[in-house]
Amino acid sequence: MGGGTAIKPREGMDFVRRSVFLGVSTMLVVALVAGCGGGGKKSSKTTGATPSAGAKGGTLITRANAAPSGSPDPQVNYTLQEWQFLIITHDGLVAFKRVGGAEGTKLVPDLATAIPTPTDNGLTYKFTLRSGIKFSNGKTVTPQDVKYTFERLFKIGTSPNAGTWYNAIKGGDACVKTPKTCDLSQGIVINGNDITFHLAKPDPEFLFQIALPFAFVLPSGTPNKQLNIPPAGTGPYKWVQYAPNKQMMITRNPNFKVWNKDAQPEGLPDSIVQKFGLSVEAEVTQVENGQTDWIANADSIPSDRLNELSSKYASQVHINPLLATWYFAFNTRIPPFNNLKARQAVNYATDRSSLVKIYGGPKLAIPTCQVLPPNMPGYKPYCPYTVNPGSGKWTGPDMAKAQQLVAASGTKGMAVKVNSDTTDVDKAFGTYFVGLLNKLGYKATPQFLSNDIQYPFIQNSKNKVPFAFSDWFADYPAASDFLNILLGCGSFHPNSNSSPNIAEFCNKGIQAKMDNAATVGVKNVQQANGIWTQVDKEVTDQAPWVAMFNPKLLDFVSKRVKGFQWSPQWYFLLDQASVK
Amino acid sequence: MIQQGGGALGIGEIPIGPTWQTNYFIGADAQGRDVMARVLYGGRASLEIGIGSALICCGIALVLALLAGFFRGPIDALLSRLMDLIWAFPVYLLAISLATVLLTKPNGLQWGFVHVDPSSLWVPTAIIALVYVPYVFRPVRGQVLSVREKEYVEAAIAQGASNGRLMFGEILPNVITTVIVMLPLMIATTVLTESALSFLSIGVQPPKASWGTIIDDGQSLLYTRPWVAIAPGIMIVLTVLSLNVLGDGVRDALDPRAKLRMRG
Amino acid sequence: MAVFIVRRSIGLIAVLFAITVLTFLIFFATPGVDPTRALAGRNPTPETVAAIKHQFGLDRSLPVQYLLMMKRLFISRDLVSYGNQALKVVPAITSAAPVTFSLVLGAAVIWVVFAILTGVLAVILKGTIFDPLLMILALIGISMPVFWLGEVANLVTQDRLHNTFLFHWVPPLGYTPLTSNPWQWFLHLVIPWITLSVLYIGFYARVLRANLLDVENEDYVRTARAKGLSERRVLLKHMLRTSLITFVSLFGLDFGVLVGGGALLTEVVFGLPGVGKLTYDSLVKLDLPVIMATVIYGAFFITIANALVDIVYARLDPRIRPA
Repeated sequence: MGGGTAIKPREGMDFVRRSVFLGVSTMLVVALVAGCGGGGKKSSKTTGATPSAGAKGGTLITRANAAPSGSPDPQVNYTLQEWQFLIITHDGLVAFKRVGGAEGTKLVPDLATAIPTPTDNGLTYKFTLRSGIKFSNGKTVTPQDVKYTFERLFKIGTSPNAGTWYNAIKGGDACVKTPKTCDLSQGIVINGNDITFHLAKPDPEFLFQIALPFAFVLPSGTPNKQLNIPPAGTGPYKWVQYAPNKQMMITRNPNFKVWNKDAQPEGLPDSIVQKFGLSVEAEVTQVENGQTDWIANADSIPSDRLNELSSKYASQVHINPLLATWYFAFNTRIPPFNNLKARQAVNYATDRSSLVKIYGGPKLAIPTCQVLPPNMPGYKPYCPYTVNPGSGKWTGPDMAKAQQLVAASGTKGMAVKVNSDTTDVDKAFGTYFVGLLNKLGYKATPQFLSNDIQYPFIQNSKNKVPFAFSDWFADYPAASDFLNILLGCGSFHPNSNSSPNIAEFCNKGIQAKMDNAATVGVKNVQQANGIWTQVDKEVTDQAPWVAMFNPKLLDFVSKRVKGFQWSPQWYFLLDQASVK
Repeated sequence: MIQQGGGALGIGEIPIGPTWQTNYFIGADAQGRDVMARVLYGGRASLEIGIGSALICCGIALVLALLAGFFRGPIDALLSRLMDLIWAFPVYLLAISLATVLLTKPNGLQWGFVHVDPSSLWVPTAIIALVYVPYVFRPVRGQVLSVREKEYVEAAIAQGASNGRLMFGEILPNVITTVIVMLPLMIATTVLTESALSFLSIGVQPPKASWGTIIDDGQSLLYTRPWVAIAPGIMIVLTVLSLNVLGDGVRDALDPRAKLRMRG
Repeated sequence: MAVFIVRRSIGLIAVLFAITVLTFLIFFATPGVDPTRALAGRNPTPETVAAIKHQFGLDRSLPVQYLLMMKRLFISRDLVSYGNQALKVVPAITSAAPVTFSLVLGAAVIWVVFAILTGVLAVILKGTIFDPLLMILALIGISMPVFWLGEVANLVTQDRLHNTFLFHWVPPLGYTPLTSNPWQWFLHLVIPWITLSVLYIGFYARVLRANLLDVENEDYVRTARAKGLSERRVLLKHMLRTSLITFVSLFGLDFGVLVGGGALLTEVVFGLPGVGKLTYDSLVKLDLPVIMATVIYGAFFITIANALVDIVYARLDPRIRPA
């Protein structure tokens, strides 16, 4: 996820805070305990599928520095922070299995009775709606509600992925052009309880996309404009308060009955609240004192306090790996880094263990050289930029090779601005690279921008940023969510603040392979993943980035929280924790 | 800055605490940098900005006050309203946008032969100087107004002295004491303001440091390494305190009314 | 008087207009500022970006945008934040103002009481070692950056000595409204009150002492003394009264600035959701609608306080007529 991040360690009241776009990450195989550094010290534990224990009742009190950014409307909001609430107040046709651990990335039927197998070369998906499910306002869910929901997704005009994901539905492209007159009767056909989706083009990720909150079913008649509180839903909780300067709150939905506990189990707390306004420093103190149960991942615990937490509050700390990559992007279109050798030189010279240390140590991050994070479909360890390459693992920087490459590139002595944001940790990354580039013979200077400006700024090709910090978290477990969005020719938009291909990287041969993988993926996921592995390798060889590491997430809960469960897709499952 | 390869405290890592020796006298910060060294270097930036902005501020205010008080009428009205505007304008917004504009220009700003580098100390200096102009302007303008009515000025006018001569030859020497008296106190104020701006990350830009930026860095380390934030604060207190004492002394020496007060 | 008020009001409106226009222009001159960003997500299509721009009126010319924003702020009062669609600007300010009032009012009480005590005490103890000692203490108070003092106070009361009898009563950072729990309201604000007032105690005590010494040689004080009034009576009744004119006018100005959001650093350090914190948060995100509203709110109080002080000053001191 660009720019915003759920898990950035930052100081208490760091001046500028990124608004948090979601960081939802998923992984197919979660290497939970794995040897992530540090011997047998039992300072922290990793939690996958801990069976929930504990009684129902009480209020789970969570805290975040600020309300989720954007709009509270479920079809517009794009933050994990709000999604963690939306998944227990609303349902889609299908859902990610609501359990901790690797199982959490599997799709299960939710409002639909079964997961359909696409027919017609991946163009048709036929669902059957469960009958008798009620919204929290008492109305029964009908197939018309489903169609209404998808039309509203376009009619609202500002839904982030309407034009990139859901336009795959037949009629969707027309809806993007003229939202007001959106009509999906071609794309969504209702027959009794059956709902058939017809796509305009095959999309191997369609089922993942309709399992995300944008596609959660809302009652017909919900106004086609952005709401200030999410409307009635079908989950075990319902929204009762959304005050962006104070708190958001959900309580039990009396109309809820379990229909598939894999998709939507009953929740344990009677209500869940998230209060806003404190600095993360103060939040940590509150959790220590038992006044708050959990700190939202949008606020990151300063790495300096991790040691204290993991030794004094070991049983309350949970560490889990994320499907994310943190990197510095080269601008591949302007000197000096339009030169492949220069880019590779910096890659060889980068001491990734230093960067890991800045982030919080080897227990919180693992060095990487490639784009795809571990556990992503198509991931295969690959690291050419290390001493003793071959194992796929990064073991140490190769300064001699780096210096040789810089000399050969003829870029020595050129001026480079190193761009990062003003968060403590990110600033430290920037400072590190300024030192490194100077050592390699460049004239490097830092350019640290406030967090809310940095991400749009570095995306805009007009600003000619040669070397910039960024990070990305997966929406759902698919390689294209990294490679195609971040390094595909199609995601470079010149002179736009929304151009996620920061490296401005576009390689015709690699792009053709990515397109091929998407086509193959509709029919044969395995084969497609093989192509993605190849793409990942070729991109890494082209070195559009210095990939730094894959981070892990540290959750800190209060003493009274029992049954902490962590799903790779939704992170901490709020409703499955007990506070009684 | 010296890079030690990162010294943030991860899990199972121990910070370099105060050693009370020449190396890491009061410990290291999150990036492994010697805090004492940074505090000493940071003081240079803090003082440069403080003194520079106070001088610029007093200079501009003096000239504007002379113009306003001497010409009166529309010029005075215009300048006075301008001062109202600056006084009520949100200084932090100004600082943030100016810093951002400068940072995002590839080579800093270029006005003719004036070149401002983004990380230049001139940025916070200029902002702080601007913000306090009304503070000096008001009392000086009042004095210019009253001095202008004095007999010796009227005598000079009768002699046909030029406006420039009147302003700088006759009036200026009589109001300059006010400015000199204010100067140390202004430096004290500007040092404090600089630290506040830097504390909010909109003053001195890395890799340069000032006491304010070190306190800002130290904030996230407050519970684990309090000295990072405490040490520069103590330096600020000491500096500003001495400036205030100096200011008192200067006033007592130059202001006859104050002398009376001392005796009485 | 009426003329004075009318002239002041026109001045106020002119200053507010100029400030809002400047704020607006500065915002649009700052690169990287993009209101569509919080909404558009990570990989939006140009259509989505255009739709969001249109929704906020960002596709109009700058003067039209300015007028639209002012209309939504003052007339329809439904201006929303760029960062969060559910955050209405006007209610955000009205709900933050009581927090700022609570903070500033309490601190003001403390600083007025202690400044008068210190100032008067210094004059009474003049000639002893205590006068310079008190004044040095006052100077130290003036010399401390408020955010630093706040941080150190937090360190001591929230962490280092939190579990000792001295500070175990200190609640976690944040705010409890007076209406929901007066005792908690009080506890939450004690440390911020003290932190904020330290600077002003030092400053006001020094001003008061200087003024008291100034009037000591005035004729009416000598007359009072000659009448055989007790030294205490002379000091409290005659000298203090006159000296308070400066005190009151300074107080008015400072109070205006602080209520207008000038206690930003204190609010930020102590996590108090007042106008200063709101200003800070909006500046951080470069959230123009909220910045605009807080800037207008702050400038309003500063300018009003200026005018009020002029009026009160004229009332208290007949030598000055409002100009």
